[in-house]
Amino acid sequence: MTLGTDLAHSLELRQKPSWRRAKNTLMSVLLGSAVVVVAIPLVLIMYSVFAKGGAILFKSFPAFLTHDIPPTRAAGPGMGPAIVGTLLITGMATLIAVPLGVLGAIYLNEYGVKSKFAQAVRFLALVMTGVPSVVMGLFVYVVWTLHHSITPPHELTGFQGFGGSLALACLMLPIVINATEQMLKLVPDGLREASYALGATKTRTVLTVVLPAAGSGIVSGALLAVARAAGETAPLLFTIGATRVINTSLFHGDSTALSARIFENAKEAVANAQERGWGAALALVLLTFTLTVIARVTTAFATRIK
Amino acid sequence: MNTRIAFLATPLLFGALLTSCSKKDDAGTGSAKMPAGSDNGYKDVKPTEAGPVSLSASGSTFQKAFQEVAMDSFMKAHPDVKLTYGGGGSGKGRQDLSDMVVDFAGSDSAFKDADKAKIKGGDVLYFPVLLGPISVSYNVSGADKLNLSPGVLAKIMQGDIKKWNDPAIVADNKDAKLPSEDITVVHRADGSGTTDNFTKYLDAASGGAWKLKSGSTVDWPTAGKVQAGQGNGGVAQIVKSTSGAIGYVDLSDAKAANLKYASIKNKAGQFIEPTAASASAAGDSIDVKDDLTFSALDSKGDAAYPITYQSWVIVYAKQANPAKGAALKQYLTYLLGDGQKELAALDFAPLPKSLQDKATAQLAKIQ
Amino acid sequence: MATQPDLRGKGQPADKTFGGLAIGAAALVLLILALIAITMTSRALPVLRHMGLGFFTSSTWSEHDNNFGALPFIWGTVYTAFIAIVLAVPVSLGVALFITQVAPPKLKRPLVYLIDLLAVVPSVVFGLWGVLMLAPHLNRSFLTAGIILAIMIVPIITSLAREVIETTAQADKEAAYALGATRWEMIGAAVLPHSKAGIVGAVMLGLGRAMGETIAAALVIGSSAQIALSPFKSGDSMPAVIANQWGEASELQKSALIALALTLFVMTIIVNLIASRIVQRSLKKTRGA
Repeated sequence: MTLGTDLAHSLELRQKPSWRRAKNTLMSVLLGSAVVVVAIPLVLIMYSVFAKGGAILFKSFPAFLTHDIPPTRAAGPGMGPAIVGTLLITGMATLIAVPLGVLGAIYLNEYGVKSKFAQAVRFLALVMTGVPSVVMGLFVYVVWTLHHSITPPHELTGFQGFGGSLALACLMLPIVINATEQMLKLVPDGLREASYALGATKTRTVLTVVLPAAGSGIVSGALLAVARAAGETAPLLFTIGATRVINTSLFHGDSTALSARIFENAKEAVANAQERGWGAALALVLLTFTLTVIARVTTAFATRIK
Repeated sequence: MNTRIAFLATPLLFGALLTSCSKKDDAGTGSAKMPAGSDNGYKDVKPTEAGPVSLSASGSTFQKAFQEVAMDSFMKAHPDVKLTYGGGGSGKGRQDLSDMVVDFAGSDSAFKDADKAKIKGGDVLYFPVLLGPISVSYNVSGADKLNLSPGVLAKIMQGDIKKWNDPAIVADNKDAKLPSEDITVVHRADGSGTTDNFTKYLDAASGGAWKLKSGSTVDWPTAGKVQAGQGNGGVAQIVKSTSGAIGYVDLSDAKAANLKYASIKNKAGQFIEPTAASASAAGDSIDVKDDLTFSALDSKGDAAYPITYQSWVIVYAKQANPAKGAALKQYLTYLLGDGQKELAALDFAPLPKSLQDKATAQLAKIQ
Repeated sequence: MATQPDLRGKGQPADKTFGGLAIGAAALVLLILALIAITMTSRALPVLRHMGLGFFTSSTWSEHDNNFGALPFIWGTVYTAFIAIVLAVPVSLGVALFITQVAPPKLKRPLVYLIDLLAVVPSVVFGLWGVLMLAPHLNRSFLTAGIILAIMIVPIITSLAREVIETTAQADKEAAYALGATRWEMIGAAVLPHSKAGIVGAVMLGLGRAMGETIAAALVIGSSAQIALSPFKSGDSMPAVIANQWGEASELQKSALIALALTLFVMTIIVNLIASRIVQRSLKKTRGA
């Protein structure tokens, strides 16, 4: 066959039979409608949260964020204790989980690597990501919260913010280990070898060369874990109690958190309580969004520098 | 370099913040210095001498609305005392007190005998604080007033009577125009003292019609239309939004949600509406035991609302921490005294005078 | 030649401490998991001794009679998760394909951002919306819970599926086009076979999330301990019943609830393990290319 036939042949192919074109268009429409189907409930939910939550949060602007929580049926804004609680409890959980998680990942990637122990830890960290949050809550309740009595020194446990932090830290730990290990893997070995060639010890290499190189990725992964933790409810239900006044101590006295309050108010039939629930939902959503955005910006910033 | 600084600085910052905050409360809950021999001067030992005192409580959601309001008023008058009431259910309250994780518990029923052995802190004292009616709320058109006798109520709640215009219901409600709508039974999803007392009432008063026994969780029927909600609020939510629904909600929550509720036939044969007054009437004719436990259900009086129940604050007789013990006594005095005035606005009934006096006298037993 | 300072042997103690810290941190994972296993199992034993294996096969749950059977809750967990997957997977896949294959580049970036943001919305917010806005219309049932769970896991599955799909070799895609395929045919020929395993993994991770979800399920599932086929009936799930009944539970009931927690734990571990093995294998395959 000659060039002419080949050309004719390829022209023919460009003229796709109508049923194939139709099928293609149908599929594109289906894909587009998938986006619409997803968009509808998500838009509805976000709309409710921003409209209803916004009404109480922004109408009484600082009041909602600073006032104590009024009695369930009373009107009026006030989620101050819940915001303080969420920030303190999640903050403490981060303090516990992030350094430990990064250290653990350092072990997995820099020291153990393929050893049996490292493989076991990797496997178990995976298993740990699957622990349902309600199990973590019950676990901390049993091993920590219960060992309390009214007499010192056992006053240091009981219903308090710290128990919640422990539960959240347990949830965050495997996530941080996993994310950090992925980031450490991406650091080229050449950097490590150069550092050793200059006479640095392993500790120094890890701390001054590897960690900074993986730094932004680690920070971003940690922030995402924090955002996850800030939204958890079940682990807190069993461990932190419920206060309606601001409590800045993690060890003494009941604490509360936005997620727990949202759950409580979802169960009420009184409009005043439901209103505060929406407001708390908005505050929590804004918090997690902010953390996620900072995480994304950190990664983008770092890759741009490199 | 900069990421490393940020990485290290954030936890350090949090750490500094947290340690500075915890120091503030250390002064409060440590051992108060009690002058020797002043064991009868609890009124004179002001909690401020040792710094702020915090008391935590958990338990009955029935009392929760009252506790919230009472704690607010008390804390305004005594800024050195911090009070928290966590709810969570009567069982949780009793368990938490038993485990000594809270300072006092709110509970709609007394400790079961089997649980008494597990109480860690010694003897407990029961202080009744309020009475309240459980309303049978409903959402059906054509009946602004509904009369229900306990046998009929039992059959409805266990699914034997399925439609609103069933002859058994119509028999007590000749004036109402009940539609032939299906009945949706609404019950509690969570364990509850309200369920416990409601089912105890049905057990006692329905003359054998009630088959599902009593308890804080019950094996509700699953055939037919059944829904469950969390908390009194949850049940109220469902009754409000479901046509044909009927459910048990304490009066306080039913009124707050603007629900219609039925009049129940009491032991004396009268159909009584749940109100603070009819609940008080129920409280007048109860047998109170020496430890101040009793049941206000299915009470004898003519004007008594039969599904009235009660709630206690349970505390340890021996208080290990004198500052906390003093604050606890002050708060209880308030609850039994001026605090009772807050009850009417919340649709609870105050304690009958005789009970109030007995409870106040019992305060002396707290050491 | 000037004498070089002998750096060998310096910093050994620092190395040892740091290495020790690192091992310690890693060992913490083992420690915590072991503690969870031990404490939970010991607390679950009373009910297991009382009910024997009947705990897993009985469908009564009666505190009054001390008769506890896990079957209705296992059913509820599995059934609602199943409904969630059936609803979420076609939609997630569609969105992922749309973002990666159909969307113009300008639209792609914001869509990806949006999906990632939605993946972080706390589940309790979905629960709040579900109980206050959806349940009054739909009643509380397996279906309502399934819908809420589906909405919750769509962003998760979409994010993961998108990542896997993006690793399809450009060369394969161009080869398909060069042979005259339409866009959809290209997807079928190049993208799907390559991403199949990864997508399955993403779906199973979503499944694990749906099974373990406590709050959203507790609020809208209806809390009825029954095994029913109709999605319009009320049911109950393991995490939901634990959260609901813990507060008022008797000693043996608490043991039963912890036994449920353990059962859930084991089930979600199995699902998550299978999922990550599949995802990892598929990612490894593509990196080679």
